[in-house]
Amino acid sequence: MFAERGTVRRRSLTAIVAAAFGLVAVAALAAGTQVFDPKSHKWVDYDRTKARKYYAAHNEVPEAFRPQMVKFRTAEVPGTIIIDGNQHFLYLVQPGQRAMRYGIGVGREGFGWAGIVRVGRMAEWPTWTPPAEMVARDPKAVKYAGGMEGGPDNPLGARALYLYERDQDTIYRIHGTPEPWTIGLDVSSGCIRMRNDDIVDLASRVKVGAKVIVLMQGAALYKGV
Amino acid sequence: MHNRFRQCLRKVSLAALTMLALNIPVHAADLVIAMPNWPSGQATANILKVSLKENFGLDADVREMGTLIAFAGLNSGEVDIHPEIWLPNLDNLVKKYVDGAGTVAISPIGVPAWQGICATREAADKFGIHDVSDLSDTKKTAALDTDGDGRGELWIGAEGWSSTAIERVRANSYGYAKTMTLLETPEDAGMAAVDAAVATDHPMVFACYAPHYVFELHDIVRLTEPPFDPAKWKIVLPSEDPLWVSKSSAPVSWDTAHFHIAYATSLRKKYPKVVAFLERFELKPEEITKMSYALQVERQDPYEYAKQWVAAQGARVHGWANP
Repeated sequence: MFAERGTVRRRSLTAIVAAAFGLVAVAALAAGTQVFDPKSHKWVDYDRTKARKYYAAHNEVPEAFRPQMVKFRTAEVPGTIIIDGNQHFLYLVQPGQRAMRYGIGVGREGFGWAGIVRVGRMAEWPTWTPPAEMVARDPKAVKYAGGMEGGPDNPLGARALYLYERDQDTIYRIHGTPEPWTIGLDVSSGCIRMRNDDIVDLASRVKVGAKVIVLMQGAALYKGV
Repeated sequence: MHNRFRQCLRKVSLAALTMLALNIPVHAADLVIAMPNWPSGQATANILKVSLKENFGLDADVREMGTLIAFAGLNSGEVDIHPEIWLPNLDNLVKKYVDGAGTVAISPIGVPAWQGICATREAADKFGIHDVSDLSDTKKTAALDTDGDGRGELWIGAEGWSSTAIERVRANSYGYAKTMTLLETPEDAGMAAVDAAVATDHPMVFACYAPHYVFELHDIVRLTEPPFDPAKWKIVLPSEDPLWVSKSSAPVSWDTAHFHIAYATSLRKKYPKVVAFLERFELKPEEITKMSYALQVERQDPYEYAKQWVAAQGARVHGWANP
């Protein structure tokens, strides 16, 4: 089946190139992310190069990753967030068996953490402090070792939702990003990232204390940013 | 008036503080009902509470606790009733406390139930996963991969459930533990994964039990399995032996399950009429599914739901209480 999936991917690529970044479906070479095409109800691959090209051509992420109200049957109460890292979707449950679905980017490497947490607090244009290992690894991060003030270049973007387990900060965040084309990808750092407009929209709809279910599936979430 | 009110308030506060400090219950209930953390058990625990009050004038405290603690409480007398004991899952506890110590009794009327492995309609129809043997076919299970390692994932239940341990044994015995990654997460996370899979037409396979609201919520298919064979069903639970994995084997379907009310045998002397009531109390699987849906999907409050249920079923409940 794995080999078959490879075939499917190559076929998808042909289709995508032919479509010249047409409407919805954007597929790609690399393993990992796929984009769900809501029209054909099929999965197509998606990678960093395609993502950049698509964004450059449309100034927008593929339709699948834009906020949209979708049918979502669940036992969870409205206001609950469900994060599906594999499909790169974050659902905010709404009344009437529907959900607001947003595209997300998640960490490339990680540890397959899953579970139930809650929104412990939220911040507007939060300060970003790179973790020590990033400061050691990346010379560009050194000048921000003491913290980078919030703003358009700040990796945390416009808002951050800090995820808590009971009263403890888990170090996971759902946050904005100055790199909107990375939505839908497994990128090298960051927790759960969303386009700035989307995280602002999400933050306006979410209450502190909201339940957040992180599914086991998917590209593992990255600890810290 | 104002001063008197304040004095009164102060007295009440002092009394409350004293009771808190001494850990004295503010209200001593006549009975304690253990409440499990799944919806039908929560509904039934509250239905029993309301029924006992209405028919016998008894106050019952409903306390959430795990099954092992509940059994220990039934044994020691700290707990009087458990609304939903699943058999054969807890056969070993029944052997210990019902057959052995004789401190716990199981009501003879059970609600028929089943346990097994389920697939979303997508997994069955598009990916050909119909039988547990399909879970050992890596060509099929690769479709269930959600973390990019090529192996499919399978939710086997919440950590700490005895059924989760048994599902692990079954996965080992059937062989698909070698081809799939077995996931243990809280039930809410397992069910949310089903919701997300269905919402995007993605296949998913998971351990399931019925009655359960998921069958009302989604189009779910039960995988076929070889029939139950008592000779092949060898289960040692983690609570009994740290080597439970190697000592267990179960390459067959679960036995048809039933769940029953359990009660402390001390009730026979204390409240014989309550025991007679518990032994007649009978729910149908469809009712359990509805309860589960009402609490879990419609978010009805368990106690309020129980009050309405008992009001609607008054004659039936009265009949159990007054044969």
